[in-house]
Amino acid sequence: MIQFKNVNKWFGKLHVLNDINLEIKKGEVLVVCGPSGSGKSTLIRCINRLEKIQEGEIIVNKNPVHKRSSNLTKLRAQIGFVFQQFHLYPHMTSLQNIMLAPVNVKNIPKSNAEKIAIEKLEQVGLSDKSDSYPAQLSGGQQQRVAIARGLAMSPEIMLFDEPTSALDPEMIGEVLDVMVNLASEGMTMCVVTHEMGFAKKVADRVLFMDEGKIIETGKPDEFFDNPKTERAADFISKILTH
Amino acid sequence: MMAFYFQRLVEIFPFFLLGLWMTVKVAFISLFNCTILGFVLGIFRAGKNKFISRIIGVYVSLIRGTPFVVQIFIIFFILPEWGIQLEAFPAALLAMAIMGSAFICEIVAGGINSIPKGQWEAAVSSGLSLFQQLRFVVVPQAMKVILPPLVGQYVLLIKDTSVVSVIGVMELTRVGWITVVRIPEGLMVFSLVGVLYFVISYPLILLSNYLERRMA
Amino acid sequence: MLADFNFRIIFEYMPLFLNGLKSTFLISIISIILALMTGIVACSCRISGIKIIKYPAIAYIEIMRSTPLLVQIYFLYFGLPTLGLRIPEIQTGILALMLNSGAYIAEIIRAGISSVDEGQIEAGVASGLNYVQRMRFIILPQALGVTVPPLLGQAIVLVKDSALLSLISVAELTRSGQTMTSERLMPAEAFFTVAFFYICIYLCLKTFSDWSQKKLIYREAY
Repeated sequence: MIQFKNVNKWFGKLHVLNDINLEIKKGEVLVVCGPSGSGKSTLIRCINRLEKIQEGEIIVNKNPVHKRSSNLTKLRAQIGFVFQQFHLYPHMTSLQNIMLAPVNVKNIPKSNAEKIAIEKLEQVGLSDKSDSYPAQLSGGQQQRVAIARGLAMSPEIMLFDEPTSALDPEMIGEVLDVMVNLASEGMTMCVVTHEMGFAKKVADRVLFMDEGKIIETGKPDEFFDNPKTERAADFISKILTH
Repeated sequence: MMAFYFQRLVEIFPFFLLGLWMTVKVAFISLFNCTILGFVLGIFRAGKNKFISRIIGVYVSLIRGTPFVVQIFIIFFILPEWGIQLEAFPAALLAMAIMGSAFICEIVAGGINSIPKGQWEAAVSSGLSLFQQLRFVVVPQAMKVILPPLVGQYVLLIKDTSVVSVIGVMELTRVGWITVVRIPEGLMVFSLVGVLYFVISYPLILLSNYLERRMA
Repeated sequence: MLADFNFRIIFEYMPLFLNGLKSTFLISIISIILALMTGIVACSCRISGIKIIKYPAIAYIEIMRSTPLLVQIYFLYFGLPTLGLRIPEIQTGILALMLNSGAYIAEIIRAGISSVDEGQIEAGVASGLNYVQRMRFIILPQALGVTVPPLLGQAIVLVKDSALLSLISVAELTRSGQTMTSERLMPAEAFFTVAFFYICIYLCLKTFSDWSQKKLIYREAY
């Protein structure tokens, strides 16, 4: 479903993605972890071309993403993206946030879009917050609305960029629960996170990155309990001491 | 015909340089006066004495609420009625000082008020006098907030000096106004005047943009 | 010195002042609307990224901001006739106010747009909204709130700036003060009355501007 072929990217002199080869299959849940600055966020931002790559190919659902000519709007409609900082639109209610893209990108009639939005809010357990503005919601609730916003486009792939890193500890659970449910429904997911519990529960594969390279991939249990490389072991010991 | 007027304009160009010199003189003396007066007023405006602060507030509103040209007329035409005779040049400086200090006062007060209370308390706790609190703790930090709009205000003040031409101060705009009577090429004459203003104010605009980016 | 302040003469001249006030009002309102439109166009050009419209817009904005309004007024007043354009003084004045304030308004709008968080734009991009849709649904609604107080500030500046039109003999408020001074030689009565009217306009606009600012802070803080 998603394919990276010899992908390279630089920010100035910094080599952020160094010869990445990767395939993500339909229905797979991939967790990406690694120290900060390792290129993991850049990796998933390339999938819907929030970042452009300089070398190599990225193919999503047989569409080449790296080419200028590719139909980005159509592509992005198939991919939901959840940001670390939520990025809900502060001047719109939850419902309006969710309905904006379906109505304007997919041209779904308003009444239908509203139905979809209500359905998605239910799915993330916030049906009572449809008329609330982002500023009236807690961080966890905001992130769940953001997930609902992504789901409203009926995407085939959901990307999560550190979805729980900006949250207070007591709110992490509610967001992860929503993601676990999503995974169990067979959604193709690519999640940048350090939440080991989540990874062990639902991930099919864990990918460890450092300095722009994929250092190690494996089943979550294997990876966390018996990392093959020293760098991964070092990283895991650091996140465990928290 | 245009070439002929252009020739004339070149001939009297020194006259424009004299005007530019007068503009620079009025502008820089005024910037100096306004800054000093504006900081003093601003510190009192932000100060604890509510009564003084209010009075300064009223002064600022009166000045900010009226056009500069009206203020100049009041100073130049009314003071003589009250027995205070002023030449055009000192009257211009007085008007500029009164107007500019009101604007700078608000910028300074805003900067001082942006400093968190904890900084004052820390300074008080280490036994600094009020003057020392301002001098060493508050004003240096407030400068970061004050500087970008202050330089922006300087640009406005330099441009406002053009208005003192109405009471006959021989600065750039006045020179243009006198010239255009003899050389009826308005576009040419006032383009030249505009270019000369541009030369003094544009560097300050660039400085203000730079400060805004750096302090943000 | 204020003892012999002559109120009777002020009342005698009241129709003149009220006429001036009306002109100042009309000139200001027409100019600010035109300036707003000019500012929107100039700002759009400036942020467009298309070189042939971007650089002229930058030149326009920077020239307007670095030369005095009075010089711009004289430039048009003495300059347009040499181009064969003879238009009434009041229209020349409005044109100058429009061009001058338009440049400042362009910068106010630009600042408003750049105050919208980068992540908001990315969220719009990620859900497939195109440039126009992102502008319309995400950026402009958020930028608008931020720009209201400085736009009102510019309106205050414009009202005061319109006093300079008296120097090209437009019959507005300041001009009525000049007229009375020349007829009766009573500058104190004339210009204090003029100042009084300006302060009334200023206080109205200022109250409105403070209110909008509070409204704005309230909305952000919730």
